[in-house]
Formats: sequence, structure tokens, C-alpha cells
Amino acid sequence: MNGWRTLSHHSAPVPADWRERLIARLPERPRRIGLWAELALHGARACLDEAGEETLPPGALLCVASLRGPVEATRAAMAERATRGSPMPFTFLQSQPSQMLAALCQHLHWGGDARFVLSRDTQALLRLVQLECGPAGLLLGRVDEGAVLRSEWWRMVPAGAAG
Amino acid sequence: MNDEVYVSGRGLASALGADLAQAVQALREGGVPTVDFETAPGQTTPFFAIAPSDEDWATRARRLVRAAAAESGALEARDGTLFVASTSFDMGRREHGDAFELDIQEYSERVGEWLGWRGPILTVCTACTSAVNALLSASALVRAGDARDALVLGIELSNQYTVGGFRSMQLLSPTRAQPFGVARDGLVLGEAVAALHLSSRPSRWRLCGGANVVDASDPAGAVTAAVAAMCRLAVARSGLKAIDIDLVKMQAAGSQHNDATELAGLRLAFERLPALVSLKGWIGHTLGAAGAAEIALLLACIEADVWPAPNYPLERTLDAGLATSAPTRLRHVLASILGFGGGHAAVVLEDTGAAR
Repeated sequence: MNGWRTLSHHSAPVPADWRERLIARLPERPRRIGLWAELALHGARACLDEAGEETLPPGALLCVASLRGPVEATRAAMAERATRGSPMPFTFLQSQPSQMLAALCQHLHWGGDARFVLSRDTQALLRLVQLECGPAGLLLGRVDEGAVLRSEWWRMVPAGAAG
Repeated sequence: MNDEVYVSGRGLASALGADLAQAVQALREGGVPTVDFETAPGQTTPFFAIAPSDEDWATRARRLVRAAAAESGALEARDGTLFVASTSFDMGRREHGDAFELDIQEYSERVGEWLGWRGPILTVCTACTSAVNALLSASALVRAGDARDALVLGIELSNQYTVGGFRSMQLLSPTRAQPFGVARDGLVLGEAVAALHLSSRPSRWRLCGGANVVDASDPAGAVTAAVAAMCRLAVARSGLKAIDIDLVKMQAAGSQHNDATELAGLRLAFERLPALVSLKGWIGHTLGAAGAAEIALLLACIEADVWPAPNYPLERTLDAGLATSAPTRLRHVLASILGFGGGHAAVVLEDTGAAR
């Protein structure tokens, strides 16, 4: 991509022991954030590690894409609704994609512009987030549950930016 | 490259009416009552519903989406970029036995088909801030010249899953929405389909800039410092100073804690508080659609000289109230929405026809 530098691209398959590795890497164990948010955190943390960054700099843009979102939590909340009349509070929260953004911010010890945006056209999405971010660059992730877990992340900065 | 972005059209279907003209007229007449929404057998909660119909969920959604988009004028610009902002998407269809399909983008593409949309389609889902974040992205595309037009559609239609989820979190009022009210006791949710058509063509309302700040220190509520940071960033990115803001359209949904937290954040950002307004007492909290719905309604109210003044006792200890009439100087409006997941988002709009 012209004008942009990729500091890291985390594309490794999600290992079988990814949850154990995540818990070992983080200073605080993630609690009650759901599979999808944990998966996002696993990839984001790994991508930043590969970029040599402990966290994102202020002013960066964090964007997560997924075609399916928090499937497991939504299914669980729907099941609770069927049996109890309403989903349980924590399950309902885990079914909301914004909670994944909160989990990323909390465990990366960062606050700023974080979004969940979807498009089938990855290039169009990349163009959009590049337009919207400043010199601190972006952290873009594609996170999907399913038979094959995916948590692919890019850490990019404008070519002229330090970092 | 275009430097300016304008809200060149808007549309809204809400509890107040099928379009903005009906909504403004309903406000003139004192608003509309809520209905009892059944979240589970024997359990109801107040709800601001769009007029019911005999249609199935998808047919009703298609009709409402088409009408709001047509009202905004965006159907003349279907090669632009479409942003769908929602938290519940088609849950109202799926929870009644349709295939439990969770490809979220598929729903947005179906919305695009309903409109005969030819341009790119993106989906934004950041809880209640969804439509404001979609506006920020849409304005970035138009400002960069990547799109001459963009349509932000905020869509939130009734479903038991979402209302039940809010109920189980004990966030809903059993009575009514009273932002800043002395007797405020929670949110009242509502339905809305809102359309904001952005364009590089000059029109009355210019979208100056905005900001989105996620602060995870309270994943379910507002954070004072984040409210202040959101305001400061939005104002600075609009090339303005705090003193230039004449009106703040608040999130203010009627929650005991969040209304006060939001106000505390505004006090940090504004040495002198601008006039304040909340629309959730009139159309409810329309979640992912709220940003677009409330901006569409507010701009229509300002143009029609109709003011959504609170019609219940305000809490005096907050030492700031919602405005009972439009401010005499009204050029710049900061419109904010706060949401689950620590989202704090705002845009600044300028009435280019107002006196400087």
C-alpha cells in the first residue's frame, strides 16, 4: 500500500493453547469478556508484540472487522432468552460487539478511537481507516469465530511517521 | 479534494411519526405516549414504538428504510457509500424463527438491495454510538473526495432480545424517560429508522468535525474524563473553540448516574455550559440509530422553530437544566451519544444560515 508502512502483520493460525498463552501474556486475566473478545485480544496483543509495542500510541485508530461477530455469546444469550424469558446480563453484554472494544482498550491499557466496522471489501475498509487515522497510525483486526478461529491483525503507520 | 461536508438531507421514522414533518407536528402537540412492550410473557416495559402494522418484520423494515432514505433525498445518489448503523440488525426477524444467520454484513447488503443501492456498503456497530461513528466515517470519505455522497442509515427496530437484555441489566424505567428529571429512573427504548444524507454540495447544515473516544474504565456507562476529551477533540477538529458551541445535544437518557456523569464531563470541557437539550424523552433511546435519529429530529425542530422542552420536573441539584427554549444564538451544535463499551462520540454541526 503506497504511503503506508506495515509495522507488523499477525497472520499466524490461532494455536490450540491460545487462551493459556493470552493469560500468561497479560498482567490481568480477562474475565467475562466472551470467546470473540478474547480471540480479538489474543491477535491484537500478538500483533503489537511483533511490532515491538507495549500498547498503541495516543491518537491511533483501532478498528476490528468481522462478518459474524460474537456468535457464541449471541447463541448463548438467545438460548437464555428461550428458557428464562430474557438473556442474562453478562451474556447479553458479551453479545454486543462494543464490549470487545472495551476489552481491547482495558487489556491494552489504551483509550481512544476504537470501532467495529464491517465490509466484504477489505481494501475499501483499509482505505477508510487510513483516511480516518492520524500520524499514530492504525491497528486493524479481522476476528472470526467458527470451526477455524481467525484473529489476523495489521499495525500500520503513515510512511513518514516515526515508529 | 473537498474541504466541506454537508448534511444535505434527512429522514426519520420514529414513534413521533412516519416522517420528520409528522414528528415535528407531534412535538408541537406535546409528544406521543409509549406503548407496553412485552419482553417475556407477563413482563412489559414502556417503549416508543413506530406505528404497528400487519406486515411481517422484514416487510415492515423494508418499507421504513425505503421511506426514510427517500425522505433524505439520498436515493438520487445511490452510487455513493451506504453506512448501516445498528446494534440489533434483523434480530426481530431471527428471534421469531427465521434461520439464525449471523453474517451481519448480509443484513446491510439486504438493506442496500431494498434501496437499489449501487455503491459500497459498510456496517458500523459500536453500540449506541454506531450512527455517530458512521457519520464520522462517511464525512471522512466525502471530505477526501472518495465519495461525493454518503448515506448513513441508523436502523433500530423492535425485538424482544434487545429490550429483554436491557431489562435484565435493570437499566429500563418502569414509568417514563425523564432525562435530568428529579424522578428519573432509567431508560425507555424506542424504534427508529433515520437517514442522514451527506454530500459535498453546500447546504444549510455543515458537518464540521467530530471525535470518538473509547474509555473502558466503565464498560456499561459514561466516564467524566472521556466525555470531556470527546468534546475537546470534536471542537478542536472542527476548527472551533469551546465558546463557539451554542447547544449540546446530550446523550441524557434518564439514567440516575449517567446523566450526572455526562454533565460533569461537559463542565470540564466547557468553562461556560452551552444550552443543553435531550431528545430521548420524546422518541426514547433508539440505540445504534440514536445519533442519526436525534440529529435529524433536532435539525428539523430548529428549522421549524419547535423546541423539545422537558415536560417534567427537573432535578435542581444538578445545577443545570435542559433548555426550555432555543438559545438566542444558535450556530454550532455539538451532538453527542454515549454507549456500552465505553463509547463517547460526538459531531459538531454548523448552521451556515445563522448569524455569526
